[in-house]
Amino acid sequence: MTGGSRRRRRRRTVAIEGISRVEGEGSLRVEVTGGVVGDVALSVFEPPRFFEALLKGRKAAETPDITARICGICPVAYQMSACATVEDACDVSVGAPITDLRRLLYCGEWIQSHALHIHLLHAPDFLGCADAVELATRDRVAFERGMALKRTGNLVTEAIGGRAIHPVNVRIGGFYRSPDHHQVAALAEPVRRALDLALDTVEWVSGFDFPDLESEYRFVALRSPGRYPMESGRIVSSDGLDASPAGFADLVIEEHLARSTALHARIEGRFAYLTGPLARYALNASELPEVARQAATRGGLGNVCVNPFRSIVVRAVELVFACHEALRLIESYEPPDPPAVAVPPRAGVGTGATEAPRGLLFHQYELDRDGAIVAARIVPPTSQNLATIESDLRRVAQNALELPDEELTWRCEQAVRNHDPCISCAAHFLDVTVVAP
Amino acid sequence: MSGTRGAVPRQRIVVVGMGNVYRRDDGAGPAVAARVAALVGGVSDRGPLADPFDLLGLWAGTDLAVVVDAVRSGAEVGTVRLIDLDTDPVPVPARALAGTTSTHGIGVADILRLARAVGNAPKRVVVVGIEGNDFGQGTGLSPAVRHAVPHAAQQVADLIGEAG
Repeated sequence: MTGGSRRRRRRRTVAIEGISRVEGEGSLRVEVTGGVVGDVALSVFEPPRFFEALLKGRKAAETPDITARICGICPVAYQMSACATVEDACDVSVGAPITDLRRLLYCGEWIQSHALHIHLLHAPDFLGCADAVELATRDRVAFERGMALKRTGNLVTEAIGGRAIHPVNVRIGGFYRSPDHHQVAALAEPVRRALDLALDTVEWVSGFDFPDLESEYRFVALRSPGRYPMESGRIVSSDGLDASPAGFADLVIEEHLARSTALHARIEGRFAYLTGPLARYALNASELPEVARQAATRGGLGNVCVNPFRSIVVRAVELVFACHEALRLIESYEPPDPPAVAVPPRAGVGTGATEAPRGLLFHQYELDRDGAIVAARIVPPTSQNLATIESDLRRVAQNALELPDEELTWRCEQAVRNHDPCISCAAHFLDVTVVAP
Repeated sequence: MSGTRGAVPRQRIVVVGMGNVYRRDDGAGPAVAARVAALVGGVSDRGPLADPFDLLGLWAGTDLAVVVDAVRSGAEVGTVRLIDLDTDPVPVPARALAGTTSTHGIGVADILRLARAVGNAPKRVVVVGIEGNDFGQGTGLSPAVRHAVPHAAQQVADLIGEAG
């Protein structure tokens, strides 16, 4: 039977009960009838975690430590968004030295998270490896490069945050303690080495064989003139949106789908959108430092990348950026004195948005006059990306129907992994059933 | 924690106490590691690891790696169990790295598989498990686990002595 006749005659269901090499636990179902992809559902079955309800009645000062527990990979993102939200509600600005130190801490998280996703979760897709263990066996140099980069990210996070995972030095208004010159200067050499490793990573991943696929994305990311976005900015989109975090929060509609413990987000009147490296790059490539722009050009990227499989190259370019930015901040470091500004409580609503490694993360809190949380809303990048990931899946599956079941399943999983979803944050794997009537 | 018994190390040995001292009996691993440092000369306690991936670096080029951790297997609380990963099969978790896991939940067995894949695995890995009971919030071990700590530390010291 030829692939074409098989496609016409069979009803196929790609049903993956636990998507591999993603953060968290989700399942996938793609229905194909008569050669046409029908229903596509990326479902999240991790138990709901009720963090927004947990925050009610807690003091605003507790939010960085409570929300950091949402994720072991990107706790800094939660801490940064929590601080931005409370400071917005209390109308406090922290000034440049604290902002720079926050940005340095965030660089540590971007380095470790991107290094991990590129080397352990995403690269095996392009090299035909089942997992990171097979990759490590076949390409020890690449694996060890990934581990060295991750260690450097951890080192930066630990030096600034006091701990590599769930840092303890972050507080509303700044930090509990400013690291001294010596502690920060000691990071320069390992970060310089990491920058070289990041450049090697761009070269490595840009040589992979990428399936042809161009998607029409509605990109959404922070924009912060003069700098690649990370800890602050306005929220812009590829179709002309330009809003404050509060204005954007008003536009985002989150819907509960019965099959999922994660909410699916869309922009009112604009439908699905995509945040994360592809969006940040498309909307901010001109803000990248020269070394990252050159790496992007060598890696075959234009100013916009719409092939989701090439997101690994964009992520590697962001790795170069994060190392370069960390080095810049290390070399210009002045310990913030005092390490935190006072944030007197007041009644009000605040919204804060920052760029987690996986994309835009915004929080919105209502505080009472004593600084206790009355209501909280936390919208992680994966919730915002789920609808677009499903659209990608539909297109990827439709283009790959000639493939045998096993390869189709693999391709569908790849379509999900392209966007590095953190399902644990949004509230993980694939198993194929073929039904031939 | 690394070092050997005696002034001239002949073997490179690393003992790691895994666990969170702020989750009651999960602090058994760090408590044993601290006690081994007191029992055996030439050993320094570097404190608990934040990230299991750090084991890869610590393990590189070692002859013996001991991992001490609290376990929950259904045995009597305070039971100390030694698993020699050279002779006993490496336990493969239900959701191992090869299949479904995220990097949120990587365990010792996955790290050993990775270390073996890159040729950096210790010559011998022994896991010392101490059966815990209370993994709630707060510091301090439950009585049976506290009582088991010196016993487990002595077994680790004996392993170091045999390897020394």
